[in-house]
Amino acid sequence: MSSVAGGLAYFIPAAQLAIESTGQVTRVTPSPSALFSPSPSGSPAASAAPITDAFTVLLLGSDDDSKFSSDHVLTQSMILVRVVPSTKQVTMLSIPRDLYVHLSTGGYGKIDGAYSYGGAGAAIATVAQDFNVHIDDYIWIGLLGLVKLIDAIGGINVVTSNPVLDDYYPSDLYSNWPYDYERVAVLGGPQHLDGVHAMQYVRSRHGDLQSDIGRSQRQQQVLIAIRQKAKQLSPEDLPAISQALGGELKTSIGLSKVAQLLPLAASFDNIDAINQIILANPYTHGCGCPQTYLTPNWGLILPLVHEYFP
Amino acid sequence: MIARFFLAVVLALVMVFVGISTYLYLGSRQSRVATPAEKPTASAPRPQAFVLPGTLYLTQAGAIYSLNAGRFHQLTPEAGWGQPSLYPDGSHLIAIRNGGYWSDVWVLNLFGKLDRMVVANQGSTGMANPSANHWSFYPRLSADGQTLWMTYDGLKCQDCYDLSPAVYAMPFGGTIRQARAWTDGGYYSGGDQQPIPVSGGVIYTKYSFGPDTKLVGQLWFTSRPGAYGRALTDPAEDCRTPSFSPGGTEIAMVCTYEKQVSYLTIASWDGSRLGPRQNIITNQLVAQPTWAPDGSGIAYLAPGVGAGPFQLWWLPKAAYAPPPPSPSPSPTPGGPHNGPLPSPSPPPPAPPVKPIQVTTNNGFDATSPMAWLG
Repeated sequence: MSSVAGGLAYFIPAAQLAIESTGQVTRVTPSPSALFSPSPSGSPAASAAPITDAFTVLLLGSDDDSKFSSDHVLTQSMILVRVVPSTKQVTMLSIPRDLYVHLSTGGYGKIDGAYSYGGAGAAIATVAQDFNVHIDDYIWIGLLGLVKLIDAIGGINVVTSNPVLDDYYPSDLYSNWPYDYERVAVLGGPQHLDGVHAMQYVRSRHGDLQSDIGRSQRQQQVLIAIRQKAKQLSPEDLPAISQALGGELKTSIGLSKVAQLLPLAASFDNIDAINQIILANPYTHGCGCPQTYLTPNWGLILPLVHEYFP
Repeated sequence: MIARFFLAVVLALVMVFVGISTYLYLGSRQSRVATPAEKPTASAPRPQAFVLPGTLYLTQAGAIYSLNAGRFHQLTPEAGWGQPSLYPDGSHLIAIRNGGYWSDVWVLNLFGKLDRMVVANQGSTGMANPSANHWSFYPRLSADGQTLWMTYDGLKCQDCYDLSPAVYAMPFGGTIRQARAWTDGGYYSGGDQQPIPVSGGVIYTKYSFGPDTKLVGQLWFTSRPGAYGRALTDPAEDCRTPSFSPGGTEIAMVCTYEKQVSYLTIASWDGSRLGPRQNIITNQLVAQPTWAPDGSGIAYLAPGVGAGPFQLWWLPKAAYAPPPPSPSPSPTPGGPHNGPLPSPSPPPPAPPVKPIQVTTNNGFDATSPMAWLG
């Protein structure tokens, strides 16, 4: 019994994160029909059996510095991930944050605003209704959360496709003035990145002709690197990672499903089995209006989405 | 009564001990992925250290280290130092010091003592005017020691964010105002990086948009300032970080094929074009291949285990240029032979030569080239 108590004490930080951050219930307003049906965390139906059915997760990343009030943040990064365990195929589709769409909460606007109007539920419902996909779960992470996550797993190895240099990179993570900026330079080629530099690599856009589209490509590279590093983790690492992440991560995925996902992630070894999709031209194009909207070409986008997210 | 009291105390102590032991046991089973890298000098000399020829200069955590006879020596403090290269006569080092928002070029002696600053890039107005600060990367001297080559962001455009650095050359001993752009750095691409002066021009890594609109690296050659130059590798190969063999007839580089892989690739160089590519290592994330001055092999950086920090590796020459097979022994004349003559069998194939991991717990900067003094 004392051994169990020692074990429980060890996993307290992980349990705390699990209680606070996982199994988040999403309320969708207004209801986007039955497109989104989050799996209830810890439901009796959940079992420890390996996951065999394909599933889709919406990854959301936000600038959650002091420029924004908490939970009314934009989701500058939105990536749909579909995992097919039977074929070990992974598809990542980056949704441009400036995409001008019909929001689930009503009206039209940039898709990154959906979360600020109605939280994760609204973001999920908006993506589900516009892209005509079923989303099983979501994971939201803040800026500092990504930095802490990468540091907690000891950094990641990335082949940066090009040097990223930016004279006006937002210096809002540790600065007292959230509108401050700084110069950053992440050089090109294979390298080991800590959290701050990985964040600079995925967040900088001023030096990229493709701006947010280019940034999406870099975000996918870092996601692949995180998955690669996660293969080295053991369950005993969870408390330290949980402690680092406190408050910077929310997900609808319950603990039981996390336990099922860990061995699944480790079994995906073929980098060629990862499809990376970016909705650049001709899937989207600038509208030429004063604001930086991107107009979707649904005639091209929906068949593509249907192919990879059936 | 007293016996029961003591029994309870003992049981309580046992429970506390077991609980703490369980806690510590679980802690000991962590993967240690977040363990900080050791300083290379932490436990030198290592009994298992592999001895490389000459002296190798490399960078970790903003400090330059030398590796000589199996021992590491820290030459500079951890203060933004990196990208060392050697004088042509091997008497001094040139390196950058990254100040956070800018980087300067310095000359140091071979023991890390500062000699002088060659290029000062800190703007006088700090971040009030970011464009007044500059980056210098990958400084390198020409063979005659008269010209300093580097990547430099001197072509910043007005009213736009493009910051693609170009290849610059300046008189060594001159000022940055005498520096001349040899390339245009491209447009929102990441620029032209890691120049290596060669006979008749300069070879460097050009980052540009490939046919599939992805940014890729290409080895590029330019013979004069302002010339467009020409590509030495295909965009789809996505190659970068060239390093010349001691004789100047081969180039080692890394090629990524637009994926999260990094192959060690070798090609011959005839002074004008590259020969067929030979992918030597395809199962590691290879960075900064550097030829040994005596031609005995190639050092490079790659993760030690899994997705860990970059370690120093050594690839003996036999791995990429195996010696020709030795002639089969001729029959030895001798006396009469009883029984059937043994049928001549080919010599067993030589076992494949594998790379040797020189360090295990360090975390070398994979974006910093290594310098090697013979």
